[in-house]
Amino acid sequence: MKGKHHVLLETNKVKYEFDIKRNITIIQGDSATGKTTLASLVSDNSRYGEAAGIRLQSDVPCVTYNGGDFWKQEFEAYQDTIIIIDEGNSFIFTKEFAKTIQNTSNYYVLITRKPLYYLPYSVSEIYGIRTSGKYHYPEKIYHEFYPLYFQEVDPDEKKGCKILVVEDKRAGYQFYTHSLDGINCISAEGNSNIIKKVMEYANASNEITVIADGAAFGAYVGELVSYRKQSDFAIYLPESFEWMVLKAGVVNFDNIEDVLSKPEEYIESKEYFSWERYFTSTLRNCTASDLIKSYSKDALKPYYFSGKNKEKILSVIPEKIREQL
Amino acid sequence: MLSIYFGNYKKAYYGPAWFNNSYDSEWFENQLVQKMIKDIDKSDYKGGELIVSEVLGPIAPKDLSGGLKTLISIYKNPQMIFDATSCGNNCAKWLLEIGEKEDVLIKLEYLMEFEGLEPFEIKIDNTGEIVTTEKAYVVAALKALHEGVDNEG
Repeated sequence: MKGKHHVLLETNKVKYEFDIKRNITIIQGDSATGKTTLASLVSDNSRYGEAAGIRLQSDVPCVTYNGGDFWKQEFEAYQDTIIIIDEGNSFIFTKEFAKTIQNTSNYYVLITRKPLYYLPYSVSEIYGIRTSGKYHYPEKIYHEFYPLYFQEVDPDEKKGCKILVVEDKRAGYQFYTHSLDGINCISAEGNSNIIKKVMEYANASNEITVIADGAAFGAYVGELVSYRKQSDFAIYLPESFEWMVLKAGVVNFDNIEDVLSKPEEYIESKEYFSWERYFTSTLRNCTASDLIKSYSKDALKPYYFSGKNKEKILSVIPEKIREQL
Repeated sequence: MLSIYFGNYKKAYYGPAWFNNSYDSEWFENQLVQKMIKDIDKSDYKGGELIVSEVLGPIAPKDLSGGLKTLISIYKNPQMIFDATSCGNNCAKWLLEIGEKEDVLIKLEYLMEFEGLEPFEIKIDNTGEIVTTEKAYVVAALKALHEGVDNEG
């Protein structure tokens, strides 16, 4: 499935309104904000329709998974559907679940605080639910989603950067190593190790910046942000390094501004499990016929860390993070 | 004292479902339970099994939030081990308060924040370490969550 889908769900007592635009959306946050009520209303609507006193508006079907042993067959049977899965369904933490949903065209909304380590979900698609307005029963209460994390977490104070922690030794690491003088660029050897690496170095220095691919860092962002409250450092989580290169305008690609402003309109979720993979594929394809620019994650061409191109890519980094580097 | 096991503790009970099948109406007479109902669910206990929510109007105990059901289950059954992953950060202060009254062990599979709640005493059950500051708690919890963690299940 592609695109952003607006969902409106309403009863006499409550109203929910939200947009879903990627294959994996996570809902978490405080207790008693209406997460389970949301799942329950969608479930009642599927079962009884408007006879349940629920109005659901969406341009694609929206259902709640109601338990049972046949979740795999159920998810494979649905097509182009928003599926809400409430907490307490432990199968969502398995490799089998990740493998199953990777081959479906559905968007999944997962209600869970426990990180899902096998799923490449974005830091930008983790939401809390909040009540807006000053309504009290018997007036209708309006619920909306709000993002819990952002691409950028600025340091509390400007203090420079001695250590830059990145995910691995591939293109991003190679770019920063060649482009940033006087900074020790450290590979965490996988996004799951970033928090350990930061904790290891935080004992010696608080002049740390973390840059990781936000498109697949959802499982780790909560812990990193919590730790950051105890040990001030900067965090930058762009979609991916390839997204930065595309945004910098150092390669030719038609329609790039539109693609980057509305990626959901171009990315088929069944084909790309995470947006990171789409941006990598796009960058590789649009440079494939040019020997100087041809992009490889494993061996970054000097074209990208030379002269103006280096500056253009660095300029994508938000100013307050860039000031540290 | 509040003790927390971080990671997959298979014998822990799932509070929201356990509560629905096991709650006792007398539990709601307790003052601490009523305070938790007021704070977490913005609701008032009116007697019997009647609770009035600011959002939903009159509700039954089964309509309480999953986090609150888990908190009440922990408090009224300190000998049992519950999965407090159903509890959001807004439950943290109540877990500490329950821990001041009873020795309780809970399971957590995410890094709950105890922000602004010092001084406290929390035992990290994985290692036996007792932490008394937010920073020590976060460091110990992260180590426990990431060492020998079984991510499935």
